[in-house]
Amino acid sequence: MISCPRVRVLLEAYADGDLAADDAARVRAHLSTCADCRRQHDQAISLPFRLRALSSPAPRASLVGDVMRAVGAERARYRRSWTLLVPEAVLAAFILWYLSGFDGLSSIASGVFGDLLSLGSGSLPHLPPVDVVLLVALIALVVVAAFHLSILVRLAAARPAHE
Amino acid sequence: MDAGAATQPLPVTDFSRAHAFARGELVREASGGDLDAFEELVRRLQRRVYGFAFQHLRDPHEAHDLTQEIFVKLFRNLGRYDSERPFEPWFWKLATNTTINYRRKRVPLPSEPGEEAADPGATPQAHDPALVEALAQLDPSYRVPVLLHYYADLSLEQVAAALSLSVPAVKSRLHRARGVLRNSLADAEELGQP
Repeated sequence: MISCPRVRVLLEAYADGDLAADDAARVRAHLSTCADCRRQHDQAISLPFRLRALSSPAPRASLVGDVMRAVGAERARYRRSWTLLVPEAVLAAFILWYLSGFDGLSSIASGVFGDLLSLGSGSLPHLPPVDVVLLVALIALVVVAAFHLSILVRLAAARPAHE
Repeated sequence: MDAGAATQPLPVTDFSRAHAFARGELVREASGGDLDAFEELVRRLQRRVYGFAFQHLRDPHEAHDLTQEIFVKLFRNLGRYDSERPFEPWFWKLATNTTINYRRKRVPLPSEPGEEAADPGATPQAHDPALVEALAQLDPSYRVPVLLHYYADLSLEQVAAALSLSVPAVKSRLHRARGVLRNSLADAEELGQP
């Protein structure tokens, strides 16, 4: 004979028809003799219907608008991230302009070579002002590009679809 | 909570469009960048998603925030959706994960008695309060499959896909959850009797 606690553990599976035939027969036999378990069985049968009948309030009328505003802000944030390309492009154009042609490259190389020689002689290297500007532009480009990259990496994890 | 809005029928601004598209087509258009299609998708899903969030959190303000977060996540991830696969399990998996993370990251707010006193009808009266209370006491790992299957009306297979579980594991959780609910309801009945 199957006990009440055991039957109560099996009631939901029994109600869903998920018990093996012999277990189901044992539960059925018990239910025919036990009023308490029968009451529990009635609860087990009615519970799915009660769960399906649960009601919730309607969402606020503003919900769709709120979602679309949040989505719009997200798209704008993504688009804004590309505006950093402007300073990057300006800096890169300046550097390319300066380095354009063999003359520019060779003058930098000879300047660096001369600076190294003067380091060996103990005197301070002479830096042409345009090299300083170039160096500052390079540093700025690296900083802006790194900042831009960090934004793009962050956005990649939460990238709006179809941008 | 806008109590008036809660009882108003939802505005359907473009009724013909709403019925012109099958769900699959709508999802395809939305994932292709059509904001109108996305808005229509939100409109169609909002009741079930809000209901799911409300039953999980039992707070209209929090449910509104969570629903909004779920839809923003949907927008972000639509590009990754494989249109060859069914949308519902994929979407509800996303909704479930967002719900679990929302719960985790929430810091319990200090009670705001002034606000509650000013808006006593903020949390609507449930028509089956004993069941709602029992459901609230249920562990989230049991409550979520119950809500997905019985409330959001997903099939066992869809719940299994949404929760990355096998169908027998989902059945087992549902049986266990209903057993716990049944015991809670019996206890509540006993306490309620004079």
